[in-house]
Parts: sequence; structure tokens; C-alpha cells
Amino acid sequence: MRTHEIAIHEETARRIGSVLTHFLAESAASDALLIDRSGQLLAQGDSSRALDTVSLSALAAGAFSSTAAMARLLGEPEFTMLFHQGVKENIHVSAVDEQAILLATFDSRTTVGMVRLFAAEAGAAISAILTESRRRSSSAGGLDTPFHADDAKLMFRERSR
Amino acid sequence: MSIINYAKREISFKIVYYGAGVVGKTANLQYIHQWLPDANRGNLISLATGDERTLFFDFLPVSVVSVRNFTAKFQLYTVPGQVCYNMTRKLVLRGVDGVVFVADSQWDRLHDNVESFRNLQENLKEYDYDLDETPYVIQYNKRDLPNVAPVAYLDFLLNRRVRRVPSFEAIAVGGKGVFDALNTVSRMVLVGGFAREEEEANP
Repeated sequence: MRTHEIAIHEETARRIGSVLTHFLAESAASDALLIDRSGQLLAQGDSSRALDTVSLSALAAGAFSSTAAMARLLGEPEFTMLFHQGVKENIHVSAVDEQAILLATFDSRTTVGMVRLFAAEAGAAISAILTESRRRSSSAGGLDTPFHADDAKLMFRERSR
Repeated sequence: MSIINYAKREISFKIVYYGAGVVGKTANLQYIHQWLPDANRGNLISLATGDERTLFFDFLPVSVVSVRNFTAKFQLYTVPGQVCYNMTRKLVLRGVDGVVFVADSQWDRLHDNVESFRNLQENLKEYDYDLDETPYVIQYNKRDLPNVAPVAYLDFLLNRRVRRVPSFEAIAVGGKGVFDALNTVSRMVLVGGFAREEEEANP
């Protein structure tokens, strides 16, 4: 089986967190989610509200991969950003690297141009951190000792009727 | 793609329910969503057509607290089964860690099952994944219907690769075989191999 392909250590999480905090401050976006292209949330910037970030991540990755497939049908390698405009809330999704995307939500306190500009900067910074992290993970990633069947005897149980 | 997050003490995996159209993939997720305790599940999201056929995917995040001080999270997806949606099926497979192949046990659907199983292997190859290195289980669904093939014959059609994998008889709408398949594939991806699980196949 393939081993853990992404390992986020405390130091990586801290550095990505600080990029996302900076991005939110500069762009005036409301939320920032770093999402693996398979749909899993990797990190998120501090936000004052509770969002269903797990579902948002899966749906954003699905939408982004779907538009990438459309791009290929047109002979483009990929569309590097997605923008959804709502009445109050908007979503901006941009490519970070081949493995990750950055989702930002924002409202009328800022503009898509601002979000786009700072998302590009944040994406470049995060891409560098992830590249370094992957290099380290491939030499010393994963758990010290792998999970064993005894760790996982009991998984999911139906609740009683 | 399993992701291990030391900062949050989380390890997460992606499990895809694969199979032909109308075999019961969505029914599996609906049953799991209905019967898992609230603390272990998130929202079930279905991207379906007007007639309730899956258009893109269904998605249900579930979690188990504390596997060696980690929270193990599993993201469950289904694919659209209809042949014409192959491009979206392929997209959903990206980063998959484990597969539940759902087969319809009825005689007249056997060809569709075999075709879908072949399609799964082809689509995995596009990501350089190999089915023989991917943890998966097979679920023979709709065992309550009158016109079903014997399990031995279904095994002959779908489960005769070098490694035989755990298989389960199921009636997904009523829950039979649903948690068995989920628990087994979850253990397989967590432990990271087939070997210890093989003996549990077809008990």
C-alpha cells in the first residue's frame, strides 16, 4: 500500500497557519482553507465563525477538479482559479500546487481582485512550505511505529435502536 | 491519500464506494449516516440528479476518536454508477485509500458488475494506483431479492484475483453488511495491508 503521502508536523502547521493569518489580514477575506485536491482539509486560518469546513473542502475539491477536467477538454492544462459570487458571500478557490488548493470566503468588505492578489502570494508561500515538508516526510515521514490490527479492533458501531 | 496531521493529532483517509448504477452505493452511506452516533459523523451531502441518481458524488465524513491518541477520520464518497459518468468517477477516485466495491447480486446485473470492476481498475491506473495494492472489500448487495446469483458465483466473477479480499452479503437499505464492509475496509486502510485481514474474509 502507498504510505502516508502527506505528513503535517507541528512546525509545518505553524508556518502554514501564519501564512493564512497574514492572507486573511491583507485580503480582508473571512475564511481561508487549505485543501488537498483529494478533498481533505489540510489547514485553516483563524475565523470567528463556525463553518462546515469538512464538507466545504470536499465540495471545493470536487468543483475544482471538475473545472480542471473542463479545461483539459479545451486544451488548457487547468483553470487556476474559481470564483463563485453570491448575494452576500463569495468564494474564491485558487491552485496552490499540484496537490493543494486554497479556498477563501469573502464579503463586501473586500473585492475579488484583492483576494486574488493575496491568494496568489499566499499560494506561493504555502507551496514552498509544502514542498519542503514533503521532502522531509519522504525521508522521515509517517508514524514511528505503524498502526497494528489491535489498534483498530473496534471502529464504527451502530447506535442502539 | 492518507494525511497525518501531528499538530491536530489526526489521521485521515478517503474511502470510495464504487460500483455500477443503482447497486446501492448511496444506500450504504445513507444507512451509515442514519445509524452512526452523532459524535462520529458529519453531514451527508448528495450531489444527485432530479431522480435521485448520483450525479457527481455523495460525501459523508465519519471519525473514530482515539486510535492510539489520534482521531482517525474517514471520508466516505460514492461515485456515479452510470457508464456515461466515467469522467466524474475518475475525479472522485483521486487520492483514494480504500474501496468498497458494491455489486448487485441479481443475475441480470452480473455483466454490469464485471464491467464496473474493470472500469475501477482502469480508472485507478490513470492515477498510477494498482488495485492489488489498494485495500478493498466487496459487498454483494440486494441479497433479499428473489433473482440473485449464489455468493460462490459472484466470488468467481469478482473475487478471484491473486489476493482474495473480504466479501460481505448485504441488504444495504436495511443495514445488513453495511457496517461490516465499512469496518473492514477502515481497518485495512488504517493497518495498511491485506495480510491480517485475509483470514477474516468469508468467515
